[in-house]
Amino acid sequence: MKARKSHFFKLQDSLFKYFLIACSLIVVGLFVAIFLMLFETSLPSIYQNGWSFLTGLVWDPNNNIFGALPAIAGTLISAAVATLVAIPLSIGIAIFFTEYAPARSKLVLSLFIDLLAAIPSVIYGIWGLWIIAPLIKTNVEQPIIGAIGFIPLFSGPAYGLSIFLAIVILTIMVIPIITAITIELLSKTPVPLKEGMISLGATKSETIRHLGLPFARLGIVAAVILGLGRALGETMAVTMVIGNSYYWPFSGYSIFAPATTITSKIAGAVGEAGGLEFSALLEMALILMVISLAVNFISRSLIKRTSKRGFG
Amino acid sequence: MQTKLDVQDLNAWFYQKQALKNVNVKIPEKMVTAVIGPSGCGKSTFIRCINRMHELVPGAKVSGKVLLDGADIYGTMDPMDVRRKVGMVFQKPNPFPNMSVADNVVAGLKLLGTYKKQELSELSDANLKSVGLWEEVKDDLKKSGASLSGGQQQRLCIARALAMNPEVILMDEPSSALDPASTAKIEELVKKLKNETTVIIITHNVQQAARISDMTAFFYLGELIEFDQTANIFESPKNQLTERYITGRFG
Repeated sequence: MKARKSHFFKLQDSLFKYFLIACSLIVVGLFVAIFLMLFETSLPSIYQNGWSFLTGLVWDPNNNIFGALPAIAGTLISAAVATLVAIPLSIGIAIFFTEYAPARSKLVLSLFIDLLAAIPSVIYGIWGLWIIAPLIKTNVEQPIIGAIGFIPLFSGPAYGLSIFLAIVILTIMVIPIITAITIELLSKTPVPLKEGMISLGATKSETIRHLGLPFARLGIVAAVILGLGRALGETMAVTMVIGNSYYWPFSGYSIFAPATTITSKIAGAVGEAGGLEFSALLEMALILMVISLAVNFISRSLIKRTSKRGFG
Repeated sequence: MQTKLDVQDLNAWFYQKQALKNVNVKIPEKMVTAVIGPSGCGKSTFIRCINRMHELVPGAKVSGKVLLDGADIYGTMDPMDVRRKVGMVFQKPNPFPNMSVADNVVAGLKLLGTYKKQELSELSDANLKSVGLWEEVKDDLKKSGASLSGGQQQRLCIARALAMNPEVILMDEPSSALDPASTAKIEELVKKLKNETTVIIITHNVQQAARISDMTAFFYLGELIEFDQTANIFESPKNQLTERYITGRFG
């Protein structure tokens, strides 16, 4: 047997290692650079507006008054409500998929769930704007306003483009994320335990309730937070359907009123903004980044805990 | 000798593969019946046909009759009812790790929703006592069922099956994953169980079958080759295959 050309391999190995280190450093560097850039560009706004940036309701570039609360509220409310609505729907789809769907339909169903997650958000936006908005306006908003419009939450007029529509679209976008992960989790319920449950006379739904869901619980929480992260950061579709009116929910509580979010405000205003407004928009971006990071962090630590304990 | 289970022309398949061929057997009441035979001979399929677990596997099919006290479990009976009457203990102990020791015992009873908390806790204690586990776990009732040792877990699973007050208990090699001391405890328990219920136990260990069973059924390639009193099977088997198997010449 010939001896290996060990020196050559050693050199090659260490070169490869340095290349990999360089790649990882780029990732870290990019993150730090983006964060610093956001922070530095926000500084004028942070000095000028102080804490009132977080509590102010007015966005008036002409008089250099910037308050981000309506956008922050719009972001948190739309993302949270959309995710909450998506939870039971996603878990329902996942349970149907793992326990009830015939084997042959599973392939098609999982393909569609993946496809739904892969649709570019601008397409959801166009669909929401052109198809769903008019439909919802005449078939949902107007009847509800007509029937119970005296309740501030459902008061008129119907615009079509509204926080309500944004929540509907966000829900549709979040469902495939939570569903896909929940399917993964439920299909990993240990077979011996399932058989143990069934041998005691448990029905399918009892097996899911007492075994499948308890096992998947923490993972589902992580999936929900992942979905929440998607909803928080979603820009294009929300910008197209939310109506972009700055004062909701401080102008009235109706879910059928147009509103705004951090992302849609930035996307809409950044092109023409200069000076302090530009800085204020970036401060808003900084706030969103902190929120997203927090959500991501919570989700990661939950996933870690799930995989360590094996069950919830 | 009262017949508890009357199996008539039982056939079972996985897709195209036939796992059981025309099995006819009368299992006597309140006795231990051992099911022996080489791997892949249909032992597991046979007992899984008795509590309708076989049909849960994709591609599974069954034909024939299994009469439990004269009523066909494949007739109008609900599979869930069948499984409540015919309990099962598996090869690997499978206590529910998301439930406490006490909750594991009454997991099946809880599903019924007809028992009060107090009753459940009494039944849990009583069944832990009857499998000889009470003294070992009475201070750990709140701990996870998975925190016990392997042998304790298996007795916990037997208690869980017993709590349903089943008419028949099926055991699929219940001690094959356990150490000799735990195995001895399980064997003692099985011998005791026949005072209350009918036991059908699969075992890979022919000595175990000789030690604990009253009746023995020998399966080979999906067919029931011989079924007789255990003493007869081990002392004067009628079929040559049976003799070769119990003397360890194949398996």
